Amino acid sequence: MTAKQKSLAVLLLAAICVVALAQTSTNVDIAVVVHPDTPITNLSMAEVRKVFLGDRQYWSTNVPVVLLIRAPVARERDVVLKRIYQMSDAQFKQYWIAKIFRAESASAPKVVYSNDMANELVSAIPGAIAFIDAREVRPGAKIVRVDGKLPGEPGYQLR
Amino acid sequence: MRPAVLAIFLLAISHNALAQNDSPPSSSETNVQALLERIQQLEKRISDLEARENNRADDKQATLQAPAPPPGDATEKQYPSHPQPADEHDHLPNTTVVREAEEHYPSLQIRGFGDVDFSASDQKGSVSGFNLGQFVLHFASPLSRKVSYFGEVSFTAQPASYELQVERSIIRYDYNDYFKISFGKYHTPIGYWNAAFHHGAWLQTTISRPQMVQFGGTFIPVHFVGLLAEGNIPSGGLGLGYNVGLGNGRSSILSKAGDSGDVNDNRAWVATVFARPSRIYGLQLGGSVYRDKLTPQPGQNFDETITSAHLVYTKEHPEFLSEFANSHHRDVLTGRSFNSQAFYVQLAYRFPWQHDKWKPYYRFEYIHKPDSDPVYTGVSDLVGSTLGIRYDITNYAAFKGEYRSTRLGVGEPRSNAAFFQTAFTF
Repeated sequence: MTAKQKSLAVLLLAAICVVALAQTSTNVDIAVVVHPDTPITNLSMAEVRKVFLGDRQYWSTNVPVVLLIRAPVARERDVVLKRIYQMSDAQFKQYWIAKIFRAESASAPKVVYSNDMANELVSAIPGAIAFIDAREVRPGAKIVRVDGKLPGEPGYQLR
Repeated sequence: MRPAVLAIFLLAISHNALAQNDSPPSSSETNVQALLERIQQLEKRISDLEARENNRADDKQATLQAPAPPPGDATEKQYPSHPQPADEHDHLPNTTVVREAEEHYPSLQIRGFGDVDFSASDQKGSVSGFNLGQFVLHFASPLSRKVSYFGEVSFTAQPASYELQVERSIIRYDYNDYFKISFGKYHTPIGYWNAAFHHGAWLQTTISRPQMVQFGGTFIPVHFVGLLAEGNIPSGGLGLGYNVGLGNGRSSILSKAGDSGDVNDNRAWVATVFARPSRIYGLQLGGSVYRDKLTPQPGQNFDETITSAHLVYTKEHPEFLSEFANSHHRDVLTGRSFNSQAFYVQLAYRFPWQHDKWKPYYRFEYIHKPDSDPVYTGVSDLVGSTLGIRYDITNYAAFKGEYRSTRLGVGEPRSNAAFFQTAFTF
């Protein structure tokens, strides 16, 4: 094998690795995780949207919804913006400024900077709800079914 | 990070295998080795920092452990492909992070809005030039889990000074999603625009509001002082909601609300019902009724009933806003009735290229009022078209330019005008 052939082979292998890894990463399901005491087990996609749009602000009379969303660039945020909000990042920011400006909500979603942080907060803050990479959800966390499906099941929409 | 490390690792292994140890290490291989070493050093450093942080919080963590999920809950699921289950130590919440994320009361947030405008018109008597738009401050502060305050003040440039106005001041108690009650000064929830867009020009697509909901105008009462109950109505996918308010209504100056007290002994009321069907995300349709007794001058009383309907689609590909209102006035003394109508239709579309920065729009608006209506003395018949474009300079600032062709009054000539605005929030 000549040096040129070796270099080509390396490049090819690297390209395959990158494509494979990218494919794995983009196909990972995003789990909807809630605080363990939250009185819900299943939400329809429309209900998830209603919660994240701030149109539903209470799980029950005494348990307000606390929205947690990943900071820009995270894939979880991209999935939420694309599938739930159907907005760009700029539109998302404008949406929440307008929501507070209309006095419809006192505060915007809290920003979390990692799945670890999302795991911590969702387990510690009553009423919290977060989107977490399904592979990084901590054991014992309460994952909500979306349209009756859990991450990894066929037809799960949040990926 | 891990996929990147894996890719580099695989790349290094494959390259080594192909090199079969007989060729001298190339510069790229040296670079890969150096990168791997660097990554390992950084990972070790992060681990050390995490361990140190956890040790620091260790004595406080015991009381804040996440409650165990109820046994037998069907939704509990340990994701089967969890690659690296976190160890016991990792499951303890970091108190600092949790404490910072928890809501604190009161928690005041202030946001400002401003705009700078330029206008030029061929209307007789008009002067072209720059003017400073309203400078607006918003205050939002949750006072407890269920009580929140919202305030809005504006500073408007006047020839001799700035006029300060309290535009909204609302304290609200949320019982649940179905019942929230508030007291204060609102933008009257008649139709769509008046309750959706307030004094920050940055939030609305266009430079100005439609004439029928113009600040300082009289077609609808823009402000309302009193109490308001609002919430969702259990309706499944229909997404129904309501607003019901009771307040002072208009003062003797019809464009003003009765901030300092009602002008007569009759309260105004407003009721709105709207639907946001979950099947068509972005769609909202609804209707409102507003009733009041007007006393523009002592001894002059009119019953006022405003009915309105709106249909909007708030996604930006396209954005569609439309609203209609009929205003009925009845002279209590003579029994004579007058009906006036107003509507607008606005269409906009945010182009998907250049990072969604461009958004052209068009609005048609119309107002008709009988000449004999003694209440709407300051309202003129209007037919107008507005064509413009909005360019979002950043996420928080926009530049808008628009052309307006308007005919004010019956048989009057059309006037043409160009407007430019830079609007922002900070």
